[in-house]
Amino acid sequence: MRIVLDRERCEGHGLCEEAAPDLMHLDDDGELVLDREEVSDDDPAAAARANGAVRVCPVAALRIA
Amino acid sequence: MSAAAEQAGQVKRVVVVGNGIAGLTAADTLRGTGFDGELTIVGDESHAAYSRPALSKALLHDGDDLSHELPSPTHGATELLGVRATGLDLERRRVALDDGTDLSYDRLVIATGSRARRLSDLPEEVTLRGLDDALALRRRLADKPSVIVVGGGPLGMEIASGCLAAGSTVTVVSQGVPLVLQLGPHLADVFTAAGRERGLTVVETELARLERSAEGYAARVVLDDGTVLEADLVVTAVGDVPNTEWLASSGLVSQGGPLTVDSRGLVRPDIAVAGDLAAFPTPHGTRRIPLWSSAIEQSKVAAAALIQGQEAPTLQFQPYFWTEQFGLSLKAVGYLPVVGAPAYVDGGPDGPALMRWAHGDGTAVAAALNYRIPIPRLRRVTQQAA
Repeated sequence: MRIVLDRERCEGHGLCEEAAPDLMHLDDDGELVLDREEVSDDDPAAAARANGAVRVCPVAALRIA
Repeated sequence: MSAAAEQAGQVKRVVVVGNGIAGLTAADTLRGTGFDGELTIVGDESHAAYSRPALSKALLHDGDDLSHELPSPTHGATELLGVRATGLDLERRRVALDDGTDLSYDRLVIATGSRARRLSDLPEEVTLRGLDDALALRRRLADKPSVIVVGGGPLGMEIASGCLAAGSTVTVVSQGVPLVLQLGPHLADVFTAAGRERGLTVVETELARLERSAEGYAARVVLDDGTVLEADLVVTAVGDVPNTEWLASSGLVSQGGPLTVDSRGLVRPDIAVAGDLAAFPTPHGTRRIPLWSSAIEQSKVAAAALIQGQEAPTLQFQPYFWTEQFGLSLKAVGYLPVVGAPAYVDGGPDGPALMRWAHGDGTAVAAALNYRIPIPRLRRVTQQAA
């Protein structure tokens, strides 16, 4: 699976970072950085965190491709 | 096989009643916990789950048609949309639906949320709670009607802001200064001043009631001193009422009240409750916290507890709240409202600011006004010594 960020939509809430701190973080300017875009299907825990990060975004700036 | 997976294997059928963010998150979490049985979600709206906070923000302000949309679910549940639950039989473990059918369950998630509290039965009283409400309001605003918003809380003020942005003249009728009850005097003054600068009229009153109008206006708003206000459009935003009527005969809830849950979101070992209808233990007593992040955190904990029981973690929740109105954006963590002036961690009173208030009990609130900051950092600000 791949995590896709729609930067135009991102408002920098950072709830996604709380859900998946190993996959993404907001930088010092509050811009979201995807540290890992590709998540292996063989890693169900990471996939669950990725899905959790996508789900928690209140402006749907993230999706799974 | 782990104990949790074993327990998950004994649960064959889970029903989730409610297709808002709470129901959706519960369904996702059930799958994440290892539940691979039959999952059914019942939603009384015909829409797929959407982001409710967006309805009074980008959707209303920017005419953004997509801001409320959420990514498609991946939980693989059978979705029964446009169907309402009407009853619950605890002994037989069955949920009755308004299409005359019923669903049996091994485990149940109750996430039917809440609805707008109304001041009258008049059809002229407009409320904003669901997607259809938001789209209807937006259509009405195309004609630039004069608007009265009754209710000076965050929702009422967001609606007022959206109506102003759409070109309407707007009056907010509020108990005291708008937002003071929810946010405290400092932030209330900041937002109310920003509203007034953009042309908002604020009328303070203790009580307001709605009457049918004789003169072609939508409805009359009568204040406690007898003053009558009229406009083309009257919107009320005076709180929400838990949707628990369908549970009346189950004995789980007293009439009109919330569902009171334990620290894992359970009301019984086989029933979890999450979202705006749930009152849960907090450091400030057992209460409802009808916020986006609250619904999500409650749902994660409750769904895990439904499968794992007492082995599942309890809810550790610090509220996160945000609002956008009159050109200002606020993010806050901790228990609002806050009294007194803030300590400025960064910035100052006349621009972007990162602020902190200490409560008497050792907890704190951190708020970012027009200040971009990740939530984890904002949470850390609440933990710093004053």
